[in-house]
Amino acid sequence: MREASRDRIKAFLTLLPSMILVGVFVYGFIGNTIWTSMTDWGGMGALALDPEKNFVGLANYVELFTGFLGSGFRQDLVNAVYYSLMLLGGAVGLGMFIAILLDRKPRGEDLLRTIFLYPMSLSFIVSGTIWRWLLAPQGGVNVLPTYFGLEPLTFDWLSSRSAILVFNWQDILRILLYGVSLVCILAGVAVLRKNRRKAMRRLASGVAVGLFVWLFGDVVPDAYMMREEHGFNLATLGIIMATIWQYSGYTMALYLAGFNGISQDLRDAAMLDGASAAGYYRHVAIPMLKPITISAVIILSHISLKMFDLIFAMTGPDNAETGHPALNMYLTTFRANEFATGAAIAIVLFLIAATFIVPYLVSQYRERGRR
Amino acid sequence: MANVQLKGVGKRFGDVEVVHGVDLDIRDNEFIVLVGPSGCGKSTVLRMIAGLEAITEGEVLIDGQVVNQVSPKDRNVAMVFQNYALYPHMSVFDNMAFSLKMRGMGRDEAEEKVREAAQILELTPYLGRKPSELSGGQRQRVAMGRAIVRNADVFLFDEPLSNLDAQLRTQMRMELRKLHMRLATTTIYVTHDQTEAMTLADRIVILKDGAIQQVGTPIEVFEDPDNAFVGRFIGNPPMNILKGVYRESGGNRCAMVGKSCFPVVEGKAASLTDGASVLVGIRPDAIKMGDAVDKLPKEWLCHGEVVLSEILGGQSHLEIVVDGETRLIAEVEGRVVAHPGEVVPIGFEFDRMVLFDPESTNTIR
Ligand SMILES: Nc1ncnc2c1ncn2[C@@H]1O[C@H](COP(=O)(O)OP(=O)(O)O)[C@@H](O)[C@H]1O
Ligand SMILES: [Mg+2]
Repeated sequence: MREASRDRIKAFLTLLPSMILVGVFVYGFIGNTIWTSMTDWGGMGALALDPEKNFVGLANYVELFTGFLGSGFRQDLVNAVYYSLMLLGGAVGLGMFIAILLDRKPRGEDLLRTIFLYPMSLSFIVSGTIWRWLLAPQGGVNVLPTYFGLEPLTFDWLSSRSAILVFNWQDILRILLYGVSLVCILAGVAVLRKNRRKAMRRLASGVAVGLFVWLFGDVVPDAYMMREEHGFNLATLGIIMATIWQYSGYTMALYLAGFNGISQDLRDAAMLDGASAAGYYRHVAIPMLKPITISAVIILSHISLKMFDLIFAMTGPDNAETGHPALNMYLTTFRANEFATGAAIAIVLFLIAATFIVPYLVSQYRERGRR
Repeated sequence: MANVQLKGVGKRFGDVEVVHGVDLDIRDNEFIVLVGPSGCGKSTVLRMIAGLEAITEGEVLIDGQVVNQVSPKDRNVAMVFQNYALYPHMSVFDNMAFSLKMRGMGRDEAEEKVREAAQILELTPYLGRKPSELSGGQRQRVAMGRAIVRNADVFLFDEPLSNLDAQLRTQMRMELRKLHMRLATTTIYVTHDQTEAMTLADRIVILKDGAIQQVGTPIEVFEDPDNAFVGRFIGNPPMNILKGVYRESGGNRCAMVGKSCFPVVEGKAASLTDGASVLVGIRPDAIKMGDAVDKLPKEWLCHGEVVLSEILGGQSHLEIVVDGETRLIAEVEGRVVAHPGEVVPIGFEFDRMVLFDPESTNTIR
């Protein structure tokens, strides 16, 4: 008993320095940022020795999402969402695909693996510079077709002004509610076979929300006083390509390690059960690697939400079409000296990241608790 | 339902030949057990039949068709692996239904088949569970269920009971036997455990270093081994093998082991000439003690000194020294209480004695 409690004290003392450091420099500063985001620190006199800071509540957030000055931030946020989705789909999909090809043990697998993993080791500034050259209007990618005797491409990879999938920011709440409805319906369909009641409950709530918004959409308030269109800016395509190029090697390595960990017997069993190679990956290998997929999604969504240097290197900080909240946060804080608004952007990013990670952590703890 | 034939089947991994010219004719509905020490190539043979390993030499025929080039899924064989190889992310139901789904069977029909198999294997209460939530024996059943649902022509088992504890292994052994009586599917079963081989097999195939040593019913390989290896490998405790010299004088034929004459019965080993050295094989259960001695002819009796006795309950194992130099293991019925150092009358069933050529170790018949 005494021995055990002494062990505890020792353990506690050993951990104490790092607990203090993390407490102050991570959680303390998050708290400080939250507080800052609720003040009016900024503008003229922001850099004064003892700047004036008044508590303004959530005014900065309201301004960001519904105010006149937040328009740039909103575009950046939409960019970040599209960017994350495309990066996730692209890097996970491509990484998985390459991993499957390499898992078939082609000749020179070792060399290919190294080649595919290599981009990961470059800094974003380096790869950003390379890709800026490749995507220059008269450069690399655009002249590629001329090697096959075709006309060169004329697409402005990094400065195009076109956008697709455009929506009106006024509708954002309605769109989000439709999203909730869709998620409920999908979640319901997913468990339809296993648990009828649960499925029915999810389907019903999904349909109810969807119907409500469809019929009584006017009740849902507009998010902004006038029409404001945002969409998927084609100018971000180049940045997405570069990031996928850099990260698919990483997801490939994750999946390849996972595939290698599946026992030969299991592959043999699947083969005898009549699964083709594609069937094996679809029904056995990839579902078995769900934890890897989840890790990849979390890591990549993180990276894409915080992306800064690659965009900075590829298009500079002032290209509105390819803006990103992290870049915006930096510019707002350190160039415009709007510290409170910058802090609010930081907290928004923090919360979005948390929506990805917290459910994952909770499920992990729950699983561990069950064991 | 199908027969399986192996014609001169060989396997080479790079330069190493691990299976040499295996010829085997497995009849429809037969339960064949491949047995041999670890590393002798049993799994390799099985995997070649399944199509999981390319055949480097010879032919495998299923139902009269050469299947060397046929892919595993089209051979209609089902395999049960030592570590079960269940899909960890699927429920028991989905594990069993997987092969049906892959073969495009409708959901209702598949469900019916899975439920039927689950019924046979008493898995019905566990259909919704994941493999990780099952005990070893239950996982084993699921692995078998996966084989049964498919109505495969041939079942292949690769040491399916090795990961179970001794008691469960005995129980599963009986259930396997019952299952085979019920389904009557041609079965090829691999094990290194001769007890499993003896209890399960219609016929046993004994392998050593990738070559067949003998094929026969359990009784045949036990009573009439083709060589000393089979003699020692089959049966527990293993056969006593002693160095001896063949002597013939008048009508008297003897294998002299030390100073003792082990009589060679009429008609056995007729080709031997006087003075030839031989290896003498005597099964532990061919040595008798107590009342059982009385039934044997006088000249088959002698005395031996008990060195060690192990009482197993229904029977006892004894280490006996005859003539002060020849050590033998005996397996006798009942609880024979003999103290170490005691000299007791013993008898041999010399009609069951086997003689081997010391050079080739083949049986001299
Ligand atoms: N893929 C392989 N590559 C090289 N050697 C192998 C391979 N598989 C098995 N072997 C060798 O073949 C021999 C027989 O193996 P195996 O059939 O697994 O034996 P058993 O099942 O009887 O224990 C062993 O010596 C083993 O080392
Ligand atoms: Mg083996």
